[in-house]
Amino acid sequence: MKPSLAQTGSRRDFLKMGGLVGAGLVLGAPSILRAATGQSAPDAINVGFIGLGKQHEVLFNAVKNIPGLHFNAVCDIMKNRVGGAFSRIKNAFGNQPARYTDAEEMLAKEKDLDAVIVATPDFWHSRHTVWALESGKNVYCEKMMSNTLDDARAMVAAMERTGKLCQIGHQRRSNPRYLFTLNELLRRHRICGQIVNANGQWNRAVGSSQDIQVKASILPDKETLLKYGFGRPGKDLTLEELQHRFLNWRFYKDLSGGPISDLGAHQIDVFNWFFGMQPWRVMASGGRNYFKDREHFDNVMCIFDYATPDGGARAFYQVLTTTSAGGGYFESFMGIDGTINISERAAYTNIFREAGTAPSWDHLVAQGYLKRSAAPKAAADSSDAIASYESAAPETYELPGGLSKPPHQPHLENFFEAIRGKAKLNCDARHALESEAPIYWVNPAAESGQTIIFDTEHLHV
Amino acid sequence: MFCSNPILIMNSDDPLPSSKACCSSTLGPALGLLTIRIWLGLRALATGIEKFAGSKASEAAVLIDGKPNGYGLTESASEKVYGLSHYHGIPEGLRSAFKAEPLLPGFSLDIYDKVLGPALIILGITVLLGILPRLSLFAMGLLYTSLTFGLILLKQDAGVAWLAIHIILIAMALIYSDRDKCVLLGRKW
Repeated sequence: MKPSLAQTGSRRDFLKMGGLVGAGLVLGAPSILRAATGQSAPDAINVGFIGLGKQHEVLFNAVKNIPGLHFNAVCDIMKNRVGGAFSRIKNAFGNQPARYTDAEEMLAKEKDLDAVIVATPDFWHSRHTVWALESGKNVYCEKMMSNTLDDARAMVAAMERTGKLCQIGHQRRSNPRYLFTLNELLRRHRICGQIVNANGQWNRAVGSSQDIQVKASILPDKETLLKYGFGRPGKDLTLEELQHRFLNWRFYKDLSGGPISDLGAHQIDVFNWFFGMQPWRVMASGGRNYFKDREHFDNVMCIFDYATPDGGARAFYQVLTTTSAGGGYFESFMGIDGTINISERAAYTNIFREAGTAPSWDHLVAQGYLKRSAAPKAAADSSDAIASYESAAPETYELPGGLSKPPHQPHLENFFEAIRGKAKLNCDARHALESEAPIYWVNPAAESGQTIIFDTEHLHV
Repeated sequence: MFCSNPILIMNSDDPLPSSKACCSSTLGPALGLLTIRIWLGLRALATGIEKFAGSKASEAAVLIDGKPNGYGLTESASEKVYGLSHYHGIPEGLRSAFKAEPLLPGFSLDIYDKVLGPALIILGITVLLGILPRLSLFAMGLLYTSLTFGLILLKQDAGVAWLAIHIILIAMALIYSDRDKCVLLGRKW
């Protein structure tokens, strides 16, 4: 497939931020970007990978199921990973992708690439994405867009300057369960009524948050690590320190945004997407409570305030990296008529109707929009139950179906369909940044202990 | 099938009108043996057929208002199917346990895996219909003994006891096989 040539016309005019809410109102809208026309749909899309670590493996396990792709090139500064990705592709598809340890070289030599999938550390996302866009490739880049707002803004600018597609890896935006919940249950049928609160969490146990360790002999050497930005200006780091930063870049402030960015970005994006707007302020608290030597907070809690058309709403988010208690990872939207707990994991998804006060959902069950779950156990009468404290137990429901693919696959499919001109991106760089921008202010709010009231300087794209 | 009616095979020279006595003395054992053979035959046949069983997973679009939804929401369904491609002689859990047993060479395990299902089906049919009934029962006994041997190695006492019941039934059928009246082929064998 030839790279797209045409530039989509009025993209830059699409959003003109007149104010925070004005900008936020388009958060939920899909991109109007389309791949350039004139491409022959049946042709294979030539794909290259930049960044071949753990997240690459997740993406590859999803992308390998998508027909019509040809994996031409792989790149990582760690030769061992390059060899691993080469073998994975060769074993699965029979072809031998070109191997690179330098992304610029790959982009310069691989003229036939239609798309590049970027899964490098956050502080490299922007440069890799901008280089790829400017070399005529469409880009799928993992979230968080970057570790700095300015670099994320550079990605949006490059996307709009080049007219190429740039999808950001907020994969929930293409998940049928999330799309159905938002469009059918929350917006069309308004089953929750006025949503007054949202909350979300991603809690991980200490055991899942340990340092990544790999035998030193297969890691890049000092010269390579310094060349590719893992050093620290003004400090002469040892090879061991550099290798630790290479493997555990998520712990360092100059390389990443920490847990609120690594984990929270997905779920705070869902808040903004579902509310259809950016929040107007954030307050936060955090601390290095267990991993005391890490630069980022290991426990963060934050509250965003929204001014929705129905009234004020708050969204609470916590990312705890010291305990897994509390029901896994999910986002919850609580309205006066019902609550939806949704998660990428179907097992964490539940829908509750306020018994006795909410309108009946029987017609929705009959039409197939909802499934009724087994009735929850009634609370047993006991001496600690005080009637006036209790609410009636809600009725429980389920989504009528699920996703039968790896969770990243629909988002990648959307990206490739957009390249073919058959779909609009579900999360292009502009919409992604509108949603991500508030997240960049959580750590500063937690560090300072100050509530941050957003203005256009904070959130502009 | 030649099914010897105990009434018809009575000696006509019998001085007494003892058809009633004769019937009662031969009909019971004959039916008893037939019952054991039916049980053993169906047991082996069904077990053998089940070794060709598998499941076929399918995904169907969720229907909203009677039409497939446009979001890609799917419902999973699993259907039991039979076919050669689903054949599994030794269950996977047992197979890996057997592989770790030094007294069971790997090649013999592969052969056994291939033979077990068809052998159960063939012996089930022959025992059920009465084809070479003695040889069939004996072969079935050997087969169950071989299974018992494997389970003894794995210390699966419940399975050993369960198979022992089969062996007792087979032994009873063989001991009283001369009273077997429903034989399709090879009465002597």
